[in-house]
Amino acid sequence: MRVVAAVLAVALFAATQPGPDFRDIGKEAGLTASFPNGGEKSKEYIIETTGSGVAFIDYDNDGYLDIFVLSGDGGTNRMYHNDRNGHFTDVTAELGLTSSGWAEGVCAGDYDNDGYTDLFVTYWGQNRLYRNVNGKRFEDVTAKAHLTQDRVRYNTGCAFLDYDGDGHLDLFVANYLKFDFATTPKPGSNPYCFYRTMAVNCGPRGLPFETNLLYHNKGDGTFEDVSERSGIAKAEGHYSLAVLAQDVNDDGRPDIYVVGDQTPATLFINQGDGTFSEEAVMRGVAFDENGHELSGMGLASADYDGDGRLDIFRSDFSDERSLLYRNTGNGQFDDVTMAAGLAHNTRFVNWGCAFLDFENSGWKGLVVVNGHVFPEVDRQNIDIHYRDHALLYRNTGKGTFEDISERAGPAFLARHSARGLAIGDIDNDGTLEILANNQNEAPSLWKQSHRAAGHWLLLKLVGSRSNRSAIGARVAVAAGGRTQIDEVRSGGSYLSQNDLRLHFGLGSAERADSISVRWPSGAKTVLKDVAADRIVTIDEQL
Amino acid sequence: MTPATSVRSAALGQAVPPARAGQAACPAPSVSERRLGAVGQAVPPARAGQAACPTPSVSERRLQPSGVFSGSLPCALVALALALPLLGADSATELGVAAFQQGRYTEARRLLQDALKGDPHDEHALTFLALAQVASGHCPEAVPSLTDRFNNSANPDLARLAGLALVQCAVAGGEIAKAVPLAVQLETRYPNDADALYQAARVHMRAFNDATRRMFEKTPASYRVNQLSAEIFETQNKFAEAAAEYRKAIEKNPRALNLHFRLGRAILLESHDPEALIVAQKEFEAELALNAEDAAAEFQIGQILNAGSKPDEALQRFQKALDLSPDFAEAALAVGRMRVQAKQYGDAIPLLEHVVALEPANEPAHYNLMLAYRNSGQMDKARREQQELQKLQHPPEGEFTDFLKRLGERTPDK
Repeated sequence: MRVVAAVLAVALFAATQPGPDFRDIGKEAGLTASFPNGGEKSKEYIIETTGSGVAFIDYDNDGYLDIFVLSGDGGTNRMYHNDRNGHFTDVTAELGLTSSGWAEGVCAGDYDNDGYTDLFVTYWGQNRLYRNVNGKRFEDVTAKAHLTQDRVRYNTGCAFLDYDGDGHLDLFVANYLKFDFATTPKPGSNPYCFYRTMAVNCGPRGLPFETNLLYHNKGDGTFEDVSERSGIAKAEGHYSLAVLAQDVNDDGRPDIYVVGDQTPATLFINQGDGTFSEEAVMRGVAFDENGHELSGMGLASADYDGDGRLDIFRSDFSDERSLLYRNTGNGQFDDVTMAAGLAHNTRFVNWGCAFLDFENSGWKGLVVVNGHVFPEVDRQNIDIHYRDHALLYRNTGKGTFEDISERAGPAFLARHSARGLAIGDIDNDGTLEILANNQNEAPSLWKQSHRAAGHWLLLKLVGSRSNRSAIGARVAVAAGGRTQIDEVRSGGSYLSQNDLRLHFGLGSAERADSISVRWPSGAKTVLKDVAADRIVTIDEQL
Repeated sequence: MTPATSVRSAALGQAVPPARAGQAACPAPSVSERRLGAVGQAVPPARAGQAACPTPSVSERRLQPSGVFSGSLPCALVALALALPLLGADSATELGVAAFQQGRYTEARRLLQDALKGDPHDEHALTFLALAQVASGHCPEAVPSLTDRFNNSANPDLARLAGLALVQCAVAGGEIAKAVPLAVQLETRYPNDADALYQAARVHMRAFNDATRRMFEKTPASYRVNQLSAEIFETQNKFAEAAAEYRKAIEKNPRALNLHFRLGRAILLESHDPEALIVAQKEFEAELALNAEDAAAEFQIGQILNAGSKPDEALQRFQKALDLSPDFAEAALAVGRMRVQAKQYGDAIPLLEHVVALEPANEPAHYNLMLAYRNSGQMDKARREQQELQKLQHPPEGEFTDFLKRLGERTPDK
């Protein structure tokens, strides 16, 4: 009876709330700088196509999310401090974050457990680990941390994770391919340098593969490369981009899922002994439903159907479907893209993506930003464009999604060539905002014109035996007759970092019956009868 | 695959050279065009990713816009003859062949005629004399000797050269009807020979061009002209133009079979707009109104319904397609896949096993069978299917598919 009542309440809730109305407030908020990323009319090299990511992090622990945006060559990455009045101030220089080069991805985590969130930025070239010094400045500790690379690598997605459960965050770094300006063929040089008969930049096919990296945190401020020893480097033949580090088979250990461009995805299952086993094909997440490799760009995870298991969404290339893999238990997945109503948008090159409950209904919808890799496509007068609008899907709560992009507000009608995307609540009002990095433009910051109607909870987890950022903690919130789950994650989307806090929409429920946390250490915390519409900090020590 | 399906599946896979638009028939398949194979737009899986034709280089496409022979006949013959070792020829023959290879055809003819005075049966001299005659523009003189060499020479290299020259003479003289059987014969006798295959391809291309030109000249008002134009546009990825031509064909002959089907598919390939699915579905329904037992049209409608999140209706269509044509692999695969999704493994597995038996190289079938076994707890069988899939995706070195796949893959430089 209680379940029936809950279903009725959700239905009533959904019927009475206004639809989402997202507007781009980036300019008013002070996000006016443009971020260069290669050519605008044409791109001679593949390096111009893949950047860059964005991050929502609270670097100074003032309780408000700040914004970090990565830049391609010719600009600097920028940190914007949240002034708590709807405006952000560029604090890049004073924090010591002024940079140059081709920045690709970003992930956050407190690798030294000092209570301040650190940043890792990937590059074509040398990656950078920025240690957060008391929220006052960032120190480039790359060399000190033994993360200097022996050659130029095309690093892309990254994620902090504690794969060995020692309480120290380790680091996974995806690598795309081997690229350099001197040897990479020019557009039109070979069959892999054409798109729809147009000469375009070459790759990824025809360019050498690269292997991914796993660094073990030794707990003394340094890392060691365990890519070979852990089995990560065994997986060859992939052009890796996005990373999703989470426990896919519910054994309490973080696994690593990586999608690649024009190559099968890889799923590294954590064996619990410092090694990983690559099992993507048998677990059903390497291919589409036909067993074909696609061009995976971005990744997101949520329990979209409320069955208590985390499912996976991956964004793909134009003329492909972005895929929804439903977790059927034991870390096995089925491609349910068509059944879920996500099969029809095939003209976009999808990049950053995230599940988000934009109505606080208790059901996570899905946002995807788009933009083709080849500006030249606009010369073809077809329905595929270099700059395109984003997609917003509402979760119907019945295992399907509804495309509401055209009625989700002006932000979803604007066209950009977007790449990275992150979600977070910049004003702590329980309604989520969306941040996107647009090539050669200022970033987008999308906010709803009204607060989401449902109740909500925002959970900040603080580890003690576990890593301080609580990355890998699994949370279950029981409210209104349902239980929702989520996990604290570093990295994700397309080379980006979402708010480390977990957001739960509660619909019409004014209280959560319980909040359960399974910490990476194995410890458990249960809170009972928690009032909604607030930020709750949960400390592992409690 | 059913006959009906086979006919249609050839549409995207056939190499149709340009005739009307005068443009390259076979644009180089780019990476992204390979991606087209994964389109979520009701392209039958078997049709996806099939190479439409040999890949000409950019420069070749620029140099040969009309698809007719390019380059001089003598140049071609010199190139062919250079590869031939001289075996047992006397010095006069050697000198003649050397002169031929250097492009001194008049001198070559004189020297080779001298050689034949000494030995009228010298096969090398006979062959190269005929080749020199061809090279200097005297095909009619050469043809009897070339025919004799091609049909009767005990030396396969000389016979091959004679055959190639015969084909070129026939084409140069505009005798395509003679060239076609010669090219077929040459291809049959030398199935792995690049020159033989090249000449065969060119002859067929020329034959196509000529037939098309005649069709346009003699029956310009026929719906077939529009149909052929549409098919050519399809090979050029110009699907909007193709759809327009199919519509004109339908207007001229509303009862002709296959036009609505092809129009529906062109619509799907032209646009990513979800509305296109509805428009295309109407065309497939129109095809069914003309031919109620068209399994391929039923299948396409099933694909559209499935993409539109109407799995129950889709399943009915897939099942009907399968009932109409029990060996229709794509339909069986679609039904099998939906049975897997419904956890009806007992129904799904025999169907998928049937597809694998029909088409052992069908990757989607192996993949879905692997998932069906996995989901039903038959892990040993699942692993076996995974291995089969892996073999297909990574064929043994040396196979042509392996060559194509490896063309785009480079291992890490360690």
